[in-house]
Amino acid sequence: MSRINYKVIKNTEGINELCFNYSENSAEAQAILDFINGRQLKLVGRLDGAEFVINPDDILYIEIVDDKTFAYTKSRVLQLNMGLREVEEYLNSVKYFRCSKSMIVNIDKVETLKSLSSNRIDAVLENGEHIIISRTYASDFRKVIRGDYE
Amino acid sequence: MNKKINLWERYLTKEIGIEFKACLYFFAILFFYCCYLLINKIYSASILIMAEMILSTYVIGYIQVWVFNNFDEADEVKGRELSGFIICSIIYILEAHFLGWFDKNLLALLIFAIYVVVLYVCVFFVYKCRRKIDDKLLNDNLANFKARIK
Repeated sequence: MSRINYKVIKNTEGINELCFNYSENSAEAQAILDFINGRQLKLVGRLDGAEFVINPDDILYIEIVDDKTFAYTKSRVLQLNMGLREVEEYLNSVKYFRCSKSMIVNIDKVETLKSLSSNRIDAVLENGEHIIISRTYASDFRKVIRGDYE
Repeated sequence: MNKKINLWERYLTKEIGIEFKACLYFFAILFFYCCYLLINKIYSASILIMAEMILSTYVIGYIQVWVFNNFDEADEVKGRELSGFIICSIIYILEAHFLGWFDKNLLALLIFAIYVVVLYVCVFFVYKCRRKIDDKLLNDNLANFKARIK
């Protein structure tokens, strides 16, 4: 069982500092780190010539279409000026899973999963869209949701 | 985590699947053959007939996978899968008749025809059942994953 402790220390400038200690790299500690990092991460996307700041938590999936990267949220589709690998490295969290050559899915936005023949998985997103995770990526997906990579 | 399956691995996965299928159907047909022999008070089986059986299940396994969309493992039975089910059953029946697996006994052949059809239906439902159990496991893991990252 891993232990997590934290202390709030007031520094010399009168600002509160959070000191976070954990004994080993547990799933809980990783979730706290992901949360802190996620709060700072923002993506910039374009729609009809205007730029919008997107919170990665709002993204359902990111897809490459005609060599362009698009982020799909519940209400909008925004074009990103990054490649899929760059986005993957930038988000750097287990919940953004590379589910095919051209797609990253936000596992947190997956509503239900259905096992298909040939070891494929059908992921139904919050907006009702279906994403097929091929056999190549399905075994890693299973490991991720089981927590084997945490 | 970025895993690419090369052509050789893809072929090997398919080949193992076909060999597993060949073993499954061979044992089912062998069971029927042994029952037929026992009913007729024959206590030795022909190696030649068993060799014919394993070879035909292997060849039909290839046909099932490469031509008829692996119909016994399919998510649903549509045109191509249904024709695969009918054609493969007919091939087994014709082989049994012309290779004299049941001494050209028409009653045994008729029972064998029903047995093959029931066998395919059972295998289809076993895979369907397995996927249902897998659905539950996947969705439990997904719920746990979401709870961990919150």
